[in-house]
Amino acid sequence: MFRRRSEDDFAEEIRSHLEHEADDLRQEGVSPDEAPFQARRTFGNVRAAQESFYVRGRWSWLDRLLRDLRFGLRSMRQSPGFTLTAVLTLALGIGANTAVFSVMNAVLLQSLPVADPQRVVYLETSGTPNGTGTIDSTETFSYAVYTALRPPNGALSDLMAVGLLSGDKIGIRIGNIPEQAEADMVSGNFFSGLGVRILRGRGFNAQDESTGASVLVLSYDYWSSRFGRDPGVIGSTIEVKGVPFTVTGIAAQGFEGVEPTHSTDFWIPLQNRPEFNVLGNPPEKGKLYQADPTWWCLRLIGRLAPGVSRSQAIARLQPIFAHAARIGLGNPMPGERPVVLSLSDARIFTADYADMYSKPLHMLMAMVGLVLLIALTNLIMLLMARNATRQREFSLRLALGARPAELLRQLLTESVLLALLGGALAWVFAVLATRILARWALIESSLAPDRTVLLFTCGILALSALVLGIAPFRTAISGGAELALKTSAATAWTDHGKSRLSKAIVALQMALCIVLLVGAGLLTRTLLNLRNINLGMNAAGVVVFSLNPPSVPHTQPQLSRFYDALEARLRALPGVESTAVSSTRLGSFWSNNSDVMVDGKHGETPGGKTILVRMNDIGPNFFHTLQVPILLGREFDAADGASGHHVAIVSQLFADTFFPHQNPLGHQVNGFTIIGVVANHKYRSMNEDPIPMVWWDYAQGPGEGEMTVEMRVRGADPLSILPSVQKVVAQLDPNAPLIQPMLQLEQFETTISQQLLFARLAEFFGLLAVVLIATGLYGTLSYRVNRRTAEIGVRMAIGARRGQVLWMILRDSLILTAIGVVLGLPLAFLTGRALATSLYGVHPLDPLTYLLSIVGVAVVALAAGALPALRAASIDPLQALRAE
Amino acid sequence: MPTQPTNDDRIALLQGTLDLLILRTLVFGPCHGQGVARSIQRQSEEVLFVDHGSLYLALQRLEDKKWIRARWGTSDNNRRARFYELTPKGRAQLDEKTSQWNRLTEAMGRILNAAGPQNEEV
Repeated sequence: MFRRRSEDDFAEEIRSHLEHEADDLRQEGVSPDEAPFQARRTFGNVRAAQESFYVRGRWSWLDRLLRDLRFGLRSMRQSPGFTLTAVLTLALGIGANTAVFSVMNAVLLQSLPVADPQRVVYLETSGTPNGTGTIDSTETFSYAVYTALRPPNGALSDLMAVGLLSGDKIGIRIGNIPEQAEADMVSGNFFSGLGVRILRGRGFNAQDESTGASVLVLSYDYWSSRFGRDPGVIGSTIEVKGVPFTVTGIAAQGFEGVEPTHSTDFWIPLQNRPEFNVLGNPPEKGKLYQADPTWWCLRLIGRLAPGVSRSQAIARLQPIFAHAARIGLGNPMPGERPVVLSLSDARIFTADYADMYSKPLHMLMAMVGLVLLIALTNLIMLLMARNATRQREFSLRLALGARPAELLRQLLTESVLLALLGGALAWVFAVLATRILARWALIESSLAPDRTVLLFTCGILALSALVLGIAPFRTAISGGAELALKTSAATAWTDHGKSRLSKAIVALQMALCIVLLVGAGLLTRTLLNLRNINLGMNAAGVVVFSLNPPSVPHTQPQLSRFYDALEARLRALPGVESTAVSSTRLGSFWSNNSDVMVDGKHGETPGGKTILVRMNDIGPNFFHTLQVPILLGREFDAADGASGHHVAIVSQLFADTFFPHQNPLGHQVNGFTIIGVVANHKYRSMNEDPIPMVWWDYAQGPGEGEMTVEMRVRGADPLSILPSVQKVVAQLDPNAPLIQPMLQLEQFETTISQQLLFARLAEFFGLLAVVLIATGLYGTLSYRVNRRTAEIGVRMAIGARRGQVLWMILRDSLILTAIGVVLGLPLAFLTGRALATSLYGVHPLDPLTYLLSIVGVAVVALAAGALPALRAASIDPLQALRAE
Repeated sequence: MPTQPTNDDRIALLQGTLDLLILRTLVFGPCHGQGVARSIQRQSEEVLFVDHGSLYLALQRLEDKKWIRARWGTSDNNRRARFYELTPKGRAQLDEKTSQWNRLTEAMGRILNAAGPQNEEV
């Protein structure tokens, strides 16, 4: 590297040149006094040469940039109020966008964190053959299909299988205390096929799968949260459903399993023993999932063989699949369609979830887009107002020879500075916001912003910086160089074009505000409606938890004996009013659906369509505990179970559907006699439409793996009873943790968590928009009042009353509001229409919501206008004129 | 800064030609900036006008390209001066640029001195 020559050295060379030139001139006969001057004249502009030297060869743009930055920082420090407002506004606007985009990215775009995710596919089917049971009719397959597709077939280099151990969590024991965890059983090639690195220890292999080895791999998060990243955990024992497993490995950070919204705590190889039947179900006709081709319960994931496209893979797999799908089923029924295999992207969130979240997310994205638009227009107005006070500075610089381009560069530097500060803060906001969002939406998978999100945010920042730099440019140069020479502030600041622009911006903001308020209002009404849904029971004060006691065989009558004993002990606890058990937990989205035989005939509508009926297996006192009214007959009691006389209870809707105008008692459902009719109430979720229901006595059924216990508990905090409940359970089975204990009401609310989340967010963004608009309007109006101080002074000097001045200013803001409302209402109608499917119990054109939104905007306008108007009215005419 | 219009017969140098002239001047041995300027003006019989600001920038540019090198020394009239001399790289450049220039002027001359404009039938 060569050393840069100093400017002093250059100056010295020029001095030397001038001396030599003078010497030569003297020799040529120029008078000694005249020579130095003539030398200087011949040389030309010495300073220009020095300046050129300074500029050339240097990173002049960097130098200018540093100067601009220094200047920008100085002028930001000079107006800290402006800087703070601008940075915060930007941070909120951009932060909201980053957060929502981050969620959208995670839910709709992100691939599984595996090696080469484009080659990894989820297997899907058009449906399952008749006569099969399934977890998800398009995403799960039988073990027979898995074994048929697994051998090398030129389509997939690896086929991985995943079996859920439970619908929620399972009981495990580390040391002495039972606890719950989220676990899947997977094929031996699960980690190697997906290309998930094993951080420590080893993953699974084919032998682990074939022997059903008792080994276990922890997820990184679980290893961190449960074991504090203790490397010594490898080799230790964890009891899973009462069976000891050895920890052999820890998966790499970031891999949270393949269940959407849930993060898996650990994995075990596929097992073939009754405790580990898929979903914890009892064996069907003595068969576990591996032997039962009618139980479509495994999720299949494939890695495409090198060079094979998806369509080629499907072409090779389809014949094998179609054949395997019929194993153990005999010939298809007449008219039954063959099942068709398809392959879908291996996303963290499968297509079902993506569909569920897609619309609300797009809607939220539009909302935060509007918020950003409002924030940016606010800042533009703020900058224009600020730059109007800086106009003298700009004019002076123009007068001193600055080119407009240099002013623009200065403005851009300042806006980039603002954008950078705001962006950094926005990122912090977004990271926090995504964590909160994930908790609200009950999503355990990470929604944290990644590189795609960073790119998105940088894009918005660049755009913002550009807009904020260019927008005030016109104002900045509009004064021209002459302005520096003028003295009167009033004459300098009359520019009608500018005030028209800011008026247009305010009106636009008002329009956007109406749109956001209407959207937020409709969703808030939805939220209230959802909250006030009549569940048909008293779900507050009921504690629910699930049990899967490993020591109890999942068969009757052992199961009944266990729960009878448990309930007797629970009822003895202080505060417990009554208890009951059910096989399906209410409000968990799970349900048991089927068609039924009523009085020996298929349950059909008059049109011949099969009526789907929901079912649940329950114990005695179920309706009493939930306080569901019994309309006719009675509910099950302890005597029913043992009697062998098969009984059923139906819902009112069931009775109305199948026995209109008849007494349903004594009729038969699937050969069971109806002994009671209960009022309709919610089963799967809060916002479901009622479906005919029938309840069986669980004691008369085959026995279930996991049961839910309902307890009505007195007192302000029913959940405080849980420690004593745990003790009671431990007396009966030390290996059974309480799974998902919570209030029945909370459980129901999880079914509307998505709606709750979006309504809350919409409220928040609506509020944010209102605050932004209020500050923006306030800023604009105060600026205009400032500008018109002299004019107002004159008006008052010639007799205008304070009331008139007050009205003059307020009228301004009200007119703008009116224009904004007129512009905004049609947009709001469209928004309401777009929201229609997300609404519950409120019409998209609900007049009350629209009215309240308009009133809201008007109040904001008046409030924001009040202070400046009062200030204007209190102007002392004498002082205002003297200030000129 | 705009250059003052000159009302004499001197010709402002074409872009890029100054470098060539500087290299040529330095063939005769090390010289300081003022000497180079004088030499160019004298050798061109005062036809070429050297803007001194441009001259020093050009010298700096050539120095940066390592075609010439400079060091401070003492001149004939016993003053401190910055002397420039050709590097081997500069010498090679001079040869190349000179032949380029000759080809260019030859070609220009052929066109400009050709006998009268020819009318072509279209």
